[in-house]
Amino acid sequence: MTEKRERYQNRIELLQGTLDLLILQTLQWGPQHGYGISLAIRNRSGEILQVDTGSLYPALHRLEKQKWIKAEWRISENKQRARYYRLTATGKKQLTKERSKWSQLSDAIAGVLQPEEK
Amino acid sequence: MNFWRRKKQRAELDEEVESHLKMAAQERAARGETMEEANHAARREFGNVELVKEVARDEWGWRWLRDAADDVRYGARMLAKNPGFAIVAILSLALGIGATTAVFSVLYGVLVNPYPYANSDRMVHLVFHDNTGNRGWANLNGPQLQQFRQASCVESVAAMDEWDLTTTEGDLPENVQAIYLTSNAFVHFGVPTLLGRGLLPSDAPEGQDPESVAVLGYQFWQRHYNGDPDIVGKKIQLVRKNYTIVGVVPPRFTWGDGEVYLPLKITADPVRSYFPMIRLKPGVTRAAANAEFQSLLEQFAKQTPTHFPEHFKVTIEGLNDQFVAGIGGTLYLLLAAVALLLLIGCGNVSILLLAQATARQHELAVRSAIGAEGSRILRQLLTEALMLSFAGAIVGVVLANGLVKLIVTWLPEFSFPHEAAIRINLPVLLFSVGLALLTGIVFGASPALQSARTDVAQLMQANTRKTTAGVHGRRTHSVLIAGQISLTLLLLAGAGVAMRGFLRMMHVNLGYDPHNVMSVGIPVHDNTYTTWEARRTYFEQLLKRVSAMPEVVSAGLSTNATPPNNGWEQRFEISGKPAAEQQRARINFISPEYFSVLRIPLLQGRSWDESETVHGAKLALINQTLARQYFPNGGAIGSEIRIPELKGEPPFALAVPGSDSWFQVIGIVGDARDDGLRNPIKPSVFVPYTVLLRVWTQILVRTQVPPLTVLRAVREQIRAVDPDQQASRNIRDLDGWITTQPEWEHGHLVATLFGGFAILALALAATGLYSVISYAVSQRTGEFGIRMALGARPKDVLLIVFRSAATSVTGGVLTGVVLTITLNRVLARWIQGSALDVLVLPGVILLLLATSGLSCFIPARRASSVDPMVALRYE
Repeated sequence: MTEKRERYQNRIELLQGTLDLLILQTLQWGPQHGYGISLAIRNRSGEILQVDTGSLYPALHRLEKQKWIKAEWRISENKQRARYYRLTATGKKQLTKERSKWSQLSDAIAGVLQPEEK
Repeated sequence: MNFWRRKKQRAELDEEVESHLKMAAQERAARGETMEEANHAARREFGNVELVKEVARDEWGWRWLRDAADDVRYGARMLAKNPGFAIVAILSLALGIGATTAVFSVLYGVLVNPYPYANSDRMVHLVFHDNTGNRGWANLNGPQLQQFRQASCVESVAAMDEWDLTTTEGDLPENVQAIYLTSNAFVHFGVPTLLGRGLLPSDAPEGQDPESVAVLGYQFWQRHYNGDPDIVGKKIQLVRKNYTIVGVVPPRFTWGDGEVYLPLKITADPVRSYFPMIRLKPGVTRAAANAEFQSLLEQFAKQTPTHFPEHFKVTIEGLNDQFVAGIGGTLYLLLAAVALLLLIGCGNVSILLLAQATARQHELAVRSAIGAEGSRILRQLLTEALMLSFAGAIVGVVLANGLVKLIVTWLPEFSFPHEAAIRINLPVLLFSVGLALLTGIVFGASPALQSARTDVAQLMQANTRKTTAGVHGRRTHSVLIAGQISLTLLLLAGAGVAMRGFLRMMHVNLGYDPHNVMSVGIPVHDNTYTTWEARRTYFEQLLKRVSAMPEVVSAGLSTNATPPNNGWEQRFEISGKPAAEQQRARINFISPEYFSVLRIPLLQGRSWDESETVHGAKLALINQTLARQYFPNGGAIGSEIRIPELKGEPPFALAVPGSDSWFQVIGIVGDARDDGLRNPIKPSVFVPYTVLLRVWTQILVRTQVPPLTVLRAVREQIRAVDPDQQASRNIRDLDGWITTQPEWEHGHLVATLFGGFAILALALAATGLYSVISYAVSQRTGEFGIRMALGARPKDVLLIVFRSAATSVTGGVLTGVVLTITLNRVLARWIQGSALDVLVLPGVILLLLATSGLSCFIPARRASSVDPMVALRYE
C-alpha cells in the first residue's frame, strides 16, 4: 500500500506545476467536473497527456483549498449529478502567473535545446 | 476541525468519484459496450478507487489527526477485547497517578501558592532568637510601631492583637476569636472583601476610640449566620457591646484564624504591645532587612526591656518559612514515595504490554505485511499506551479528589497555612496530564519499540505452535520484576520505619492519666475581675461549682499546665547556688487538685492547702527531672528557688506582692510529659495558680463517663457564676490533646500514608509478578506437557516455575536492600528511627518474599496440575 501511494505521490510531484496549469487553463473555458477535465486535457493534447485520477483529484482538492477554484454540484448534460469546478478571481490571476512562468520555462528549455548558431 | 464538516466532505468525495465512474461508463456504453463491460472498464481506467480517495483526502490536511482517530478506534477495540488486561493496567496507573496527584496538590497548595494576599512573598514576621536557642515573635508598642514604619526597607506595616470574645445574645455564650487590626490592614493585605467593605482609616481615628464596626470571617459567617447574604448592616453583640457588621472576607482570608475582625486602637501606653505585620519594599534583601531591624530592635529593647530577651538576634521570616521548615520535607518525602508507587505501576503496565505484544506478534506482522510502516505500528502501540495512561489519569484524578480530602484532615492542624486552597485545581490537573503523558511514554515505549522492530518474514514463517518461549522477552521481564521488587522494598522499609516510630510514640510513658479528663478553657473578658482579689474569688467559685457536679470525680485549675506540652519556660535561680543563664524550667500555675486529677504521684513532701492557695503562698513543687538534675544529692525539699521574670503586668496578669522573690520547695512529684511526646521531660516547677492570675485559665475535669458528654453541664455551671462568661472553642479531652500534638499528627500522617502507599506498592508488585509467571506458564504449557509425558512429577514443574522467578526476586530484594541502606541517611532526616532497625528490614524482606512466593505459587500450581495430553494439544 505504501509503495503504491509513494508512486502516486511521486507522479504528482513531477507533474505538479504543469498539472495545476493545465487544470486552470481547462477551467477558463467554463466550469467542468473532474471527468470532463481529464477528457478535455486528453483531447486537446491529441491523446498524449493522460491525466491519472490519482493525480487529478488531489490536485483539484489542493487548488480548491487554495481558493483558486470553487466547487459546486450541478447536473451534467447527460443528467448526472456531478461536482463542477469553476475558476475564481484569484485563480484567474494565478493562471496568468503560471502561464508566463510556463512560457519562460519553455523558452528557456527551447533555448537550451536549440542547435548553436555560428 | 469540525467533525460534521469532515464527515460531509468525505461523503462528497465518495459521490464525486462515483459520478466520475458513472459518466465514464455511460460514455463507453454510448459507444456500444455493454453496461457491464463499460462499468468494468471505467473502474479499471480509474485505478484504485480507495487509494485515489485517500490521496485526495490527504490534500485536506489533518492527516495525522485522522490517523490518530483510527489508532484510537483500533486501540479501543483491542482494549475492549482484553478487558482484564485493560482493567489491571488502568488500575495500576490510576493508583500511581491518583496518589501522586493528591500529594502534589497538597504540596502545591501548601508550599507553592498558599496565600491570597498581595505580594505575599514580601510579607514577613519579626523573629528573635536568644542565646539559648529559643525563638519568639517580636511585639512592638505604639510609639515603637510609629518608628518602625519609618524604617528604610519597610513598605508598609500593619499591627494586630487578638482576643477571645463571646456572643451575648444567644442561649449559651459562644466563643468568638477576635482579631483587632489597625485600620490600614485591609490595604496592607490587598484582598477585596466578599461582601461590604473592610476596615477603613475612618474606623479608627487616631487618639479616639474606634468605631463599633466588625468584619466577619468567612467560616464564622457561614456557621453563625448560615451565609446570610444580607448580613452587611446588621448588628452583632460581643461581650454586651453592639458592633455593626460592615463586611465579610473571602474564604481564603483567614489571617490569625479570625472569626471577627475589629478595628484596633493603638495607644501610647508603653506596656501594650502589638504584633507587627510587615511588607518589605521590592528588592530588599533579607540580610539588609535583618541588619536594619537588629539595630532598631536593640534600641527598642532599651525602652521596654521586659518585652525582649537579654541578648537577641533578629531575623525576618517569610509567611511560609516555618511551614516549609516544618512540613516541607515530609511532603517532598511523600511525593518521592508516591513517585515510587507510580514507577511500580508503570512497571506493571510495561510487563502487561510486553506480554500482550508477544501475543500480538502475528497481528502486527500481518499489518506490516500488508503495508504498515514501522513508524505507523510504533505510533499505534504508543497510542494504545497513551489511551491506557489517560484512562488511568482520569480514574486517578477521581481517586486523588478523595485522597486529598483525607490528607487535609490528617495534616497537623497548625503545620500548614490555613489560607492554602488544597484541592485539585488547574495547575494540579496540568500536572496530572503531564504525568499521564510521561507515564504513557515510559511504559509504552519499550514494548512498542520491541514490537515495531520485529522481522516480518521470520515471524510469518515461524511455526505458530511453540513449545517454549523465547529468551529475550523473559530477560526484559526479569529486569522489570527485579526493579519493581527493589522499589517496593524501599517503600516498605520507609513505611516500616515510620510506623515503628509512630507506635513507639503512641506507647510512650506519659506519667499522667489522660483518660476521662478534659480541659475547659476560660478566657476572661477585658475589664472584668481587674483586681487580684476579685479574680481569685472568681476562679475559686468556678472550681467549686464544677467540682460539686455529681458527674465530676475531681477538678483542678491549670493556668498553663495541661500536658503533654505545658508550662512557661523561664530562667530560675536556686538559693545559695550561682545563677546560670541556661538554668531553665517550665513554670506551671495550678491548684493542688491538679495532681490527683491527672493521677501524678506526689513522691516526697507535701502539697499546699486551700488556705495557702487563697493567700498565694510562695511554695513550689518540682518534678523528678528537676530534682535529679539540680539536687543530685537530695536536699531539694526545703531549698528555695526564684523566678526573676515572674511579675505581674496589670490588667492582664495580676501577681501577689513579691512574686519574683524566693519560693520554698515543699515536695517532689512524678515526671510527666511536659515537652511533647518525643522530647525528654524538662525540669518543671509547680506554684499556686493564685501567684499570677492571668486573663485565661483552664479547669481540668475528671469524670466517670467520657468527659465531653458533660461539657454542656459544665458550661451551665460557668454561666451560673457569670452569665457572660463562655468556655473556649474546641474543647478536647486530654487524649485529644495528645492527638493534636504536632509530632503525633505528623507521625500519624507519615505512618498512615506511607503505610498505605507501601501496601498498594506491594499489591502492584505482586500483580506484576503474578502476571509474568502466569504468562510464562501459559507460554510453556506445551513444554511442561512434554516434560510430564516424559515422567516429570508436578513437584518438578512447580520447582521449574519457582526457579524462573527466583533470580529476579532475589535480585530485586538485594538491590532493594542496597537502596534502603544507601537512602537510610536521607530518610532519617524526616522520619525518626532507622531502616536498619532489627525488626524493620528483616520484617520487610520476609513480607516481600512471602508475597512473591504466593504470587508464584498460584500460576505454578496451575502449571503442575495440567493433564499432559491437554498440555501437548494446547496452542
